[in-house]
Amino acid sequence: MTPSPPQLSVKDVRKSFAGRAGEVRVLDDLSFGINERDFVSIIGPSGCGKTTIFNIIAGLLEPDSGTLLYRGAEIENLRGRVGYMMQKDLLFPWRTVLGNVLLGLETKGVARAEAEDKARDYLKSFGLAGFENAYPKTLSGGMRQRVALIRTLIMDPDILLLDEPFSALDYQTRLYLEGVLKDAVATYNKTVILVTHDIDEAVALSKRVVVLSGRPARVKIVHDIDISSHSPIAARSDSRFSGYFHALCADLDIQTETSS
Amino acid sequence: MTLTLPGATSATPDQARKPRRRVNLDTPVIRVLLQAAAVICFFAAWEIGVRVGWISAFLVGSPFGIFAIAFKMIASGELPSDTWFTLFEAILGFVIGTIAGSLLGLALWYSVFVARLVEPFIVAINSVPKIALAPIVVLWFGTGLVSKVALSVSLTAIVALIAAYQAAKDADIDLQSLLISMGADKHQVFFKAVVPSTLPSIIATFRINIGFGLVGAVVGEFISSQRGLGHMIYTASSLYDLNTVWVGLFTLMIVGFALYYVIDLIERKSLPWKQSNTTHQVRV
Repeated sequence: MTPSPPQLSVKDVRKSFAGRAGEVRVLDDLSFGINERDFVSIIGPSGCGKTTIFNIIAGLLEPDSGTLLYRGAEIENLRGRVGYMMQKDLLFPWRTVLGNVLLGLETKGVARAEAEDKARDYLKSFGLAGFENAYPKTLSGGMRQRVALIRTLIMDPDILLLDEPFSALDYQTRLYLEGVLKDAVATYNKTVILVTHDIDEAVALSKRVVVLSGRPARVKIVHDIDISSHSPIAARSDSRFSGYFHALCADLDIQTETSS
Repeated sequence: MTLTLPGATSATPDQARKPRRRVNLDTPVIRVLLQAAAVICFFAAWEIGVRVGWISAFLVGSPFGIFAIAFKMIASGELPSDTWFTLFEAILGFVIGTIAGSLLGLALWYSVFVARLVEPFIVAINSVPKIALAPIVVLWFGTGLVSKVALSVSLTAIVALIAAYQAAKDADIDLQSLLISMGADKHQVFFKAVVPSTLPSIIATFRINIGFGLVGAVVGEFISSQRGLGHMIYTASSLYDLNTVWVGLFTLMIVGFALYYVIDLIERKSLPWKQSNTTHQVRV
């Protein structure tokens, strides 16, 4: 029996940008695989091209070379099939909460009544019933990001691309939303790729952590995180948590103890 | 000098309980009263100046003369008819110019190539004082309604075009990226992200353009016409009938004032999501 191919494989992807001092290579033959229902965090030094990978997968950028394979078949990109969530909540300020949640279904041409029913269901299960007609600016940062998460999930994307979605929030809100995310991923059976700066968050949420080297980005090491706890807060008190944490700090060349 | 903590020693118990409040002058009633008082004082000073002989009634007119003529012209129906005529020209020019300009400006978003191609031409057209076109416009469109509307259109369209194009260029790229990642095509990006984000800028040009609409109508009437407030002001001033000139000017002021508030209402009704931003101001 041959093992089934990963849900998404990134193979030898290379990307350069024109900089002031000539070409800057951001991704250098980058390869990694994402399994079905995987939760992979990508961490690496800032500016190492994590967002560029997402933009290539989402079809916002074209790679110079390399291929993407979806369940073994070559694809150009996953445009229209990913749920992309960024650090900024990117709620449309002129749309109400309901209007924002409907955005993806509208672009897909889902019938209005059906889409609205679905949106109201989602809002209710995420504790946002009653806020349907509120404008984003009247909501707190945590609520706004929750609306963005609903907007992402309601489209039933094949893969969630989360680009530091909680980094602009305060720590308590972040812990809370990590729990909401983890529950939602379990409920809707989603595959997630999470880009983060936060080693702590990566260990608490992920099944695997991919560490990238600095620019140009290459995969330095992949850690399997063997913490089975379902809650990100409980995960932080797991006995193996600090082991992973320190291993990742070492991979990222962060000094954890003063060297003498 | 000694420093005293509030309510600590020197203040009598009564004063300590009631901290002195500054009188708040910024209430709607007081504001309107002060504004009305300013207007009355202005006209009173003017009338007194004329009566005493400090101001020449021949060159400047006098408030009583102005009011007398205004009532006469309202009674005869002359003033309402001229006002309506000018207002109609201005609004028609404003609507056509603003819509055409905004649509063109938005359409330029679709093609960066075309936009870059026509940009210098837009700048060139914008740099011509449109008022200078008035004589030609009269030659081309005659002395009737069309020439005034055309002049208003030429003044308003370019303002709307530049504002709409600039706003479309500045539309948040991240919102557009998000839509593309959702599988939206270019038209969906245009209608869902670009157009709504340009609306505040486009509506902001309404305020400028409603004024330009009036300018076009009045200047058009100066050049040649048989009706309208511009015609009334022009003919009266050539007869040194200053009071009638003032009637025309004050009517224009009232018309512009009313139009401004209509635009303000449109803005508030059409951009409910902008509201809480504009009503608050930091108090210093």
